[in-house]
Amino acid sequence: MKGLLFQLKSVRKDKFCIMSFLLPIIVAIALNFVGSFDLSSLGELHFGVLENDLPEQTILWLEKYGTVDANKTMDELTASINEPSTNLIGVLSDGSGIKTIISGDELETFRETADTLPILFERREAAEQIRAQVLERADLMAGFQNIFIAATLIVAMFMGCTFNAMNIISEKEDGVALINEVLPMSRSQYVIQKIFVGFAFGSLSAVITTVICFRLSLQSSLLMLALILLSSFVSALIGLFVGRFSDGLMVGVVYIKIVMIAFLAVPLLKFLLGFGGGASLLCYIVPSTATFEGIMALLSESPILPERDILILIVHCVAWFLIYIALSICQKRQT
Amino acid sequence: MWKGFLSLVKKDCQMLIAGKFLIVALGSLLLYTLFINFGYINFMQAKPYRVYLYDPAGTQAEYSERILSVHSSEELAQALSSDTNGVGIDASSGEPLVVFYAGSEKADNHRKDYALSLLRSGNRYEAEAVGKNTPEMKQRREITCEFLFIELIAVGFLGIASVLFKEKQMGVIRVHAILPLKKRLFILSKITVFLLSDLVFAVLLTMLNIEVSGAFVILPAVLVQTALLSLIMALIGFACAMLLRDFKQFSLAYLVIAIFAATPVFLTANTSVKMAWVKYHPFYQLYMELKSAYFGTSHINVMYYIGAVLAIGILYFFVQAAFHKEIGKEG
Repeated sequence: MKGLLFQLKSVRKDKFCIMSFLLPIIVAIALNFVGSFDLSSLGELHFGVLENDLPEQTILWLEKYGTVDANKTMDELTASINEPSTNLIGVLSDGSGIKTIISGDELETFRETADTLPILFERREAAEQIRAQVLERADLMAGFQNIFIAATLIVAMFMGCTFNAMNIISEKEDGVALINEVLPMSRSQYVIQKIFVGFAFGSLSAVITTVICFRLSLQSSLLMLALILLSSFVSALIGLFVGRFSDGLMVGVVYIKIVMIAFLAVPLLKFLLGFGGGASLLCYIVPSTATFEGIMALLSESPILPERDILILIVHCVAWFLIYIALSICQKRQT
Repeated sequence: MWKGFLSLVKKDCQMLIAGKFLIVALGSLLLYTLFINFGYINFMQAKPYRVYLYDPAGTQAEYSERILSVHSSEELAQALSSDTNGVGIDASSGEPLVVFYAGSEKADNHRKDYALSLLRSGNRYEAEAVGKNTPEMKQRREITCEFLFIELIAVGFLGIASVLFKEKQMGVIRVHAILPLKKRLFILSKITVFLLSDLVFAVLLTMLNIEVSGAFVILPAVLVQTALLSLIMALIGFACAMLLRDFKQFSLAYLVIAIFAATPVFLTANTSVKMAWVKYHPFYQLYMELKSAYFGTSHINVMYYIGAVLAIGILYFFVQAAFHKEIGKEG
């Protein structure tokens, strides 16, 4: 217990740890109160037209599908079509109908849209007669915001890793690690204390972030808590690995960055690009993939509970812990 | 003076090799190249919406081959719930009824009309293409440009700071106070070494990931932008290393720069999300110029170059002042 108090004391003096504790909380507050970026235009089509070329009605018809930008000259229009960051479709009048212009480097969906647009225009009146049944689904834009929140939560949980790694590395650099060797403290006590500090603060940071960002039902809250605790534990363990393998602060920071990028990028890529089969299974090697999916499932209030994700995280906890112990035993035998 | 400069450059190169900086750079080059060639090109595909038709009575005779036919209304419901972007057409009552999950209003209008247009197959129209790139060429240019930008503003920046902090910790910077060398040579040699390594990195990354004929055409413009970005980042890294106490403090500054400088730039530059203020973001201008260099659409923007050169000049004088102060600490 006394050892733990000393650990906490050393953390209190470490600005790096305190900042990484506060960072996700600040981001959560910002996301909650300031509102996030306006992402509502992401799913829409963009059309470019020439001034005084298309009749008013046709422009109104185009605006039914997306935003319409007017250009003064053909060169200007061609330049906006070729602009690589957008998928603008050029629309010009062609007798009583319309014709479309694309850059040719678009993804298939935009090419198909441009290819079919004149037919849609021709049959616009017939299409209006037909009934449509729109089924409800969770708000798409909320989905984007959820991604930000889930990523922030992962950063919060990741704090345990930064915490432990930084702590161990600075102990190594200051020579405290050597003093620890001769103190009457067993290796397991040391490991437990270190994991606890990172784990406790990582969980705390994530819990505060969760409380700021959303209101969950009791069952969801419990599941979320399980996800947070397990993920923080894995992060704290990974922090021990980073601390163990890096001999200097700079190498440590580089390792932490790499791990952090992997923790954020793998689940995000998996989610956004929707890998299937083997690639999807490979993603679960990074523990945050399961965390991310669990959080997204809870946030989108889907009926599928994140039990599978919790199970994957438990496997991670046990596996990493065993690897760490095996490494320690190997090292002990060598010395 | 040249002799002194060359020996400083030699020492800095040795430090980069000893500090595993080159290994990290080569490793990231390899990683980026593998990702672009085997990952990104294969993953980034957006197929048009799938359209499912349930038509037990066969009222729709001439529907397009793009439509997938289902045999029961349950099958239709299931297809839609697993592919929520898809559109279903239920023609079991004789009149087609379009069924789909709600998205954004404008996208929904398009999905409905697109699905209906497939019910009648007619002559296929093809939109006129005015660009000269194929989708793959565009994707390769886009992602290569992004990786180069990340490497320059994030990884390279970390590199220069780590080297400088090491020297600061070891007291090498203060030793320079008594060396019979011009003080600015120390700054120049560091910046030269990082500039060269960034240029080599840019050449390799471009050559490995963009088709050879295209790469040669865009390379000069890309190198000019790389040089500007590299100089700016190296000077900022230098300034941070002089002003901040240790590497720990730096890593916080780094986090702020990496997250808050890069995120809005990427969001605006790659998606249709446009933030009005972003054009005042200096990194946005740098990124857009780099991007237009990759797409071969760059034109001489005098204000941009004046701004960049001014920024480099101001940063240089600032760094020089900070460097003198750091040396002066020893008294």
